Amino acid sequence: MSRSTPLGRVVRAILLVLVGLFFLFPILWVFLMSFQTNEQILRIPPSLFFVPTLSNYVAIISGRFETTAGTLELPFMHNLWNSLVLSVCSVGLSLLLGIPAAYAFARFKFRLGENIAFTLLSFRFAPALLVLLPLSLYFQEIGLSDTYTGLVWVYQLITLPLILWIVRGYFEDISPDIEHAYRIDGHSWLATFLKIAIPLARPGIAAAALLAFIFAWNNFIFALILGSSSIQPVTVGALAFVTASGIQYGQIAAAVVFSVLPTLLLALYAQRYLVEGLSLGAVKG
Amino acid sequence: MATLTLERVSKIYRQRRRQAVHAVIDVSMAIQDGEIVGLLGSSGCGKTSTLRMIAGFEEISQGVIRLGSRVLNQLRPAERNVAMAFEGYALYPPLTLRDNIGFSLLRDKGTKAKAETKVRQIAELLEIADILDRYPPTISGGQQQRTSLARALVRSADLFLLDEPMSQLEPQLRAILRARIKDYLIEHRMTTVFVTHDQTEALALADRIAVMEAGVLQQLATPHELRDRPANLFVASFIGEPPMNIVAVRVERGPDGLRLTAEKPGGGDAFAIDLAGAGLELLAAIGDRQRLQLGIRPHLIEVGGAGPLKASVVSNQWLGDQTHLGIDIDGCLLVAVADGAIAAPLDSEVRVALPLRSLHLFDADSGAALSHGLEPALRGAA
Amino acid sequence: MSFLVIDGVSRRFGKLEVLRDAALSVERGETIAIFGPSGAGKTVLLRLIAGIVAADAGDIRIAGESVVGLGPEARDVGMAFQNFALYPHWPAFENIASPLRGRGMVEADIKQKVQQVAELLRIAHVLHHLPKQLSNGQKQRTALARSLVRGPQVLLLDDPLRNVDAKLRYEMRLELPRLLRQFESTVLYVTQDYKEAMALGDRVGVLQGRCFQQVDRPAAIYNDPRTVEIARQFGDPAINLYPCRPVPGASGAGVEIFGVRVAVPDRLAAMVDRPCLLGIRPEDVRVELTAGPGAFPVELDAVTPLNVRTALFLRSPDRQEILATCSESEGTRFGRGHRPVFARLDAGKILWFDQATGERLRPAA
Repeated sequence: MSRSTPLGRVVRAILLVLVGLFFLFPILWVFLMSFQTNEQILRIPPSLFFVPTLSNYVAIISGRFETTAGTLELPFMHNLWNSLVLSVCSVGLSLLLGIPAAYAFARFKFRLGENIAFTLLSFRFAPALLVLLPLSLYFQEIGLSDTYTGLVWVYQLITLPLILWIVRGYFEDISPDIEHAYRIDGHSWLATFLKIAIPLARPGIAAAALLAFIFAWNNFIFALILGSSSIQPVTVGALAFVTASGIQYGQIAAAVVFSVLPTLLLALYAQRYLVEGLSLGAVKG
Repeated sequence: MATLTLERVSKIYRQRRRQAVHAVIDVSMAIQDGEIVGLLGSSGCGKTSTLRMIAGFEEISQGVIRLGSRVLNQLRPAERNVAMAFEGYALYPPLTLRDNIGFSLLRDKGTKAKAETKVRQIAELLEIADILDRYPPTISGGQQQRTSLARALVRSADLFLLDEPMSQLEPQLRAILRARIKDYLIEHRMTTVFVTHDQTEALALADRIAVMEAGVLQQLATPHELRDRPANLFVASFIGEPPMNIVAVRVERGPDGLRLTAEKPGGGDAFAIDLAGAGLELLAAIGDRQRLQLGIRPHLIEVGGAGPLKASVVSNQWLGDQTHLGIDIDGCLLVAVADGAIAAPLDSEVRVALPLRSLHLFDADSGAALSHGLEPALRGAA
Repeated sequence: MSFLVIDGVSRRFGKLEVLRDAALSVERGETIAIFGPSGAGKTVLLRLIAGIVAADAGDIRIAGESVVGLGPEARDVGMAFQNFALYPHWPAFENIASPLRGRGMVEADIKQKVQQVAELLRIAHVLHHLPKQLSNGQKQRTALARSLVRGPQVLLLDDPLRNVDAKLRYEMRLELPRLLRQFESTVLYVTQDYKEAMALGDRVGVLQGRCFQQVDRPAAIYNDPRTVEIARQFGDPAINLYPCRPVPGASGAGVEIFGVRVAVPDRLAAMVDRPCLLGIRPEDVRVELTAGPGAFPVELDAVTPLNVRTALFLRSPDRQEILATCSESEGTRFGRGHRPVFARLDAGKILWFDQATGERLRPAA
């Protein structure tokens, strides 16, 4: 019996707006900053109204910026490309390895199964700095330093556990009888895996892939230590804006907007899969 | 202990941006002191909403509910002096079953010893006496349901409301527990209203049954009446397992009187029945309708003997104390029930009679009952 | 040689032993109803035959060949699951076609066969719907169609009517035998409803206590149960049971019950002074308004109409409960109950059980 009075509804709406503002405000501000020059940004008091400029974006895209101290090279677009390559490859490799592994963990109860799964998850808890120094030494020895391959391999520590744990849950949610029925129909277990298990776990796979992409994209420390300027993603590349002639806030803001855009769009697109229910009424009830 | 009356009670659920849902439409009934009434219908028919309005958990949108001379509309549930057994059991997890059942007795100002005796008695009746010291989460769904029932029945209240009281009961216990509960209710003169979708349960327990569909009360009558004089096609086909056989028939008027020709499901004529012995009242009830729906209850079909119709046996299922026969009469499939075993192998031919006194005729469009046997149905039988 | 043989099969899950040395022989084309309480191992048995679960010990043979070790896709079985287990991302047509695709049938043949079965089960008009758009009854029929479409040698039906509403369940109970006959498969039908078991099975196998307690024609299970548990589970209302001890008497042994003497059959004379159970089914208790030979007075406490018959709840003077049933017309004589009447046991129908073991005391073989 809900008794929502008009007053109650108004109060609730106000509270929602306030909470929303609190969380969205920084993003909004950065977005505005990207259309302002440094002078406008640093003005006190700060103002919401200004004459927008596209100079920051132009600088980023073209890769050059004219300052009083000279012309700066901004390899941001290259960084963007690196981020893309690293994230896509990492997630791709993780999906290739993680989905079958998740299926194995979900369906086959083997000894030490839980132990292995938990160990893989524990990688996410461990501080990256613990392994970075030895890792960088090893990488130099085997020549993986400053390569896409090396970094993608290391990124598995971030992406693989995520895929494994999320997709395993979705596989477990599929009623085993559906797969049994497919086997009884005369199909091999591989066909069952490809035609039944994976399509039905699609929302989970999409969610896990998205999450893994975001985490890979946002990673800073691995790329910083194990890579150099040629494979730097945007996270590290942002350091370039701290220049001798001052910190270019406007360009940082534009860079941030660019950095956030891919993951934001991906999340919006994949939202559909995240909301999709799983069993789709094939099982009774 | 008093009469419970519902006067034109309705329940309308209103939600923003959605159509109003008329869950209960204009329901009126009077339940006598000590009577057991069942609200029967499929899910969504309004029976639970009606019960909850009587209990006080739903607001009454329109109409008045009275208990004796007291108007219940504005009273909160606790003030109405009704005992309720909920569909979801609603047992208190930290209390033992014994304490759950005896909970309200502590309030009812009896002595402790008397309360304990009552609890033990009802527990024995419902076969939970040996688990009285266990806790709700440790027992099965059927046992939880019986505990919830015990808790309601042990109280002294003006009215007892039971929401699907035996849906989870183990099949073997059903018959004996129904009998014991009915005995208990009669002995203590408890006015009871219960809700169920299981017509077998309704028939067993209730003195009268209110059949509801789409919020409307279809018929309020004794089980006997509902089976022998159903008010419409819905009630006729809802009550009874096996359900009443319904066949579409065409009315032919000849010099010798009326003849009903059955129509096969896919089209075409099947068997025919002569209404030679029909009285004037019956003919008047049929009027000048061209099409009717004919109903006959399975155990009133006479199989074997010298019946005028020939049927082939489609299935013969012997269940120990009764036999269910599926018979095909000229393409119409009917079910007949007989006591004991019947020697009729599959695909054999048997002779069948559909006696006039066992036929029910319904209007083909509205479903309203026109006649039961040789007598016309009374108008507005409810 | 039987077509399907389950030979000393055992299976445990962790500490729980579900099946031990279970054995069953099924003839070709026969329908066996497997009946038992929940947890008895009925579903496990079907899964062993289908190949979804492996047995710990024992053999399973179809048409003389052992199938142990073969994956489900290599056995010629069809299975309908209790919770339907339809493929949610494919329409009903594809669900039904799946077994045919698994055997590499040609597309045109597949279409024809699926259409055929769908029409038989009256779901041809919803073939393009996804499972979530189907009603429960349609889902159940789709699952059934999928199991039937290939005409497998062995058909395993795991309580297919369990999750379907009462009206539909009754309808299907009437239709299924005819349907199954058309496919000529050997059928194992699992159910917890004894009426379904008796209605659908050529023979009924009662699975209890980890193996088959009795496998017989329905009439034998009902009239000649091997244990008191079986007697209790077949029949609604359940059989009345009374502990008693036969005592010797002038004309042979007998028991005293409800104030009358009931003779114990000669063959059971050895049971004198041993605890027994006297079992009498409700339909074999006759209730009258007036006294008669062999009748004893009882209190009629409640009249509960059943669907076709009426149950009478009686209490003897020593407060024992007796459930009797009579036809509907007879039942109307008794009104609402709470009156004295007279009851009589049909002596020829009494079933005797050894109370200690639960075994039925039968005539010497």
